[in-house]
Amino acid sequence: MSKTLVNILLSILLLVPIQAIIFNNLILFNVAVPLVFIYVIVSLPVTLGTNASLTLAFITGLAVDIFGDTQGVNALACTLLAFIRKPVYHLYMSFDDDLAGMRPSLRTMGYAPYMKYLLTMTLLYCFAVFAIEAFQFRNIGLMLTRTVCSTAFTFVIIYAIDSLSIRQRNREKKL
Amino acid sequence: MNELIVFFRNNSKWFLFIIYVVISCMLLFQHNPYQHHVYLTSANAVASGAYSLSSEVTSYFNLREINADLNARNAALQSEVVNLREQLDVLQEKNFTDTMKVDSTMQHFEFIVAHVINNSVSKPYNYLTINKGSNDGIKPEWGVIDQNGVVGIVSNTGPHTARVISLLNPNFRLSCKVKNSEGFGSLVWDGSDPTVAMLEELPRHTIYHKGDTVVTSGYSAVFPPGIPVGRVISDNRNRKENFFTLKVKLFADFTTLSNVQVVVNNYRPELKALEAGEKEEEEENIKNPFKQ
Repeated sequence: MSKTLVNILLSILLLVPIQAIIFNNLILFNVAVPLVFIYVIVSLPVTLGTNASLTLAFITGLAVDIFGDTQGVNALACTLLAFIRKPVYHLYMSFDDDLAGMRPSLRTMGYAPYMKYLLTMTLLYCFAVFAIEAFQFRNIGLMLTRTVCSTAFTFVIIYAIDSLSIRQRNREKKL
Repeated sequence: MNELIVFFRNNSKWFLFIIYVVISCMLLFQHNPYQHHVYLTSANAVASGAYSLSSEVTSYFNLREINADLNARNAALQSEVVNLREQLDVLQEKNFTDTMKVDSTMQHFEFIVAHVINNSVSKPYNYLTINKGSNDGIKPEWGVIDQNGVVGIVSNTGPHTARVISLLNPNFRLSCKVKNSEGFGSLVWDGSDPTVAMLEELPRHTIYHKGDTVVTSGYSAVFPPGIPVGRVISDNRNRKENFFTLKVKLFADFTTLSNVQVVVNNYRPELKALEAGEKEEEEENIKNPFKQ
């Protein structure tokens, strides 16, 4: 258990600065923002308690907010995402599998369920972030465009990261 | 009592969820950007350290365009200096006897050069971080410009870094006027296009044409008058209203900001004291209007 916790904290320490320095500047056509750091929350172990995952998600969101000067936007959206993570997971996976310590990924869930799970989570997160940001602008069209484009962009990048880590694990197994 | 503890333990996730949501909302709805705590902004030590490192690499990327801009600005300033010198010579000849030497310590505005280490243009409330802070004498509410025009206003200062409210932030309203006309309005960003802002509340009698330059009015203690801001691009006059709203194409290119100057107003303490005095007087007058 402590090994998983260390792994999660390391991934937060790695992904938050990468998000701040690289992905926050990688904006396509001023609409598609890759919010890659949610990979931390998406890949939290399924059996991890809700309290722990809420806390980890809140800390991650707050760190991204501090780097990006967004004051609470990502902290709120991350808390919401961590709260609905398990229900979303069980939409696509049954309860009776052996879940002890399992982290949702391509390898553990299989292609179709993982893609559905990842797409749902990304869409919900992007919608939450842009809805919170757009609170006083009432520019619904721009908000929806941003949500859809950012979801697609984020989905592609997280999917790529996840399949890369699969390949690495396979290589380790062969050795 | 025992039941209460069991109740709290069974529903702990809901309580934790609500606590986190409330904290986030408190951060989210704290609208005055000057009241943000410096640890929760990009001017804190960890964030600014990371940004300084990355900007050491990325600051080379836009050097070509920045050089071109600087050369153009340099040429313009050169011609201005030559013209002013000629004027000065003529005037000095005219009234040589009663010309007084201006003391350079009484200079109205000074500039501190700083480097942008973090910047955003696509959020609804944009901020940027610069690599000079309170140790370099930077204070909140000082103006920031670059070689092309107005950039923003300092909101929080750390020891070596400061956070600047970008012009692309609806919390920031800038008093502006169309060059060579008297009416002034306030420039504010509408949140969609990072190259365009709105000049609002411009009086109806203001004469302007498409392509006119918009400059700072100098009615606040933050920016000197006449700093270029942008160019008028819209031409739709609504005759029914008393105030115009103009679309202004901004001169400063916020996507490639690199070197900026912080405006130091040496008369600012005096002005502030005067304005504070006025306010007190007004309040007293409101309290007992028959004092005289």
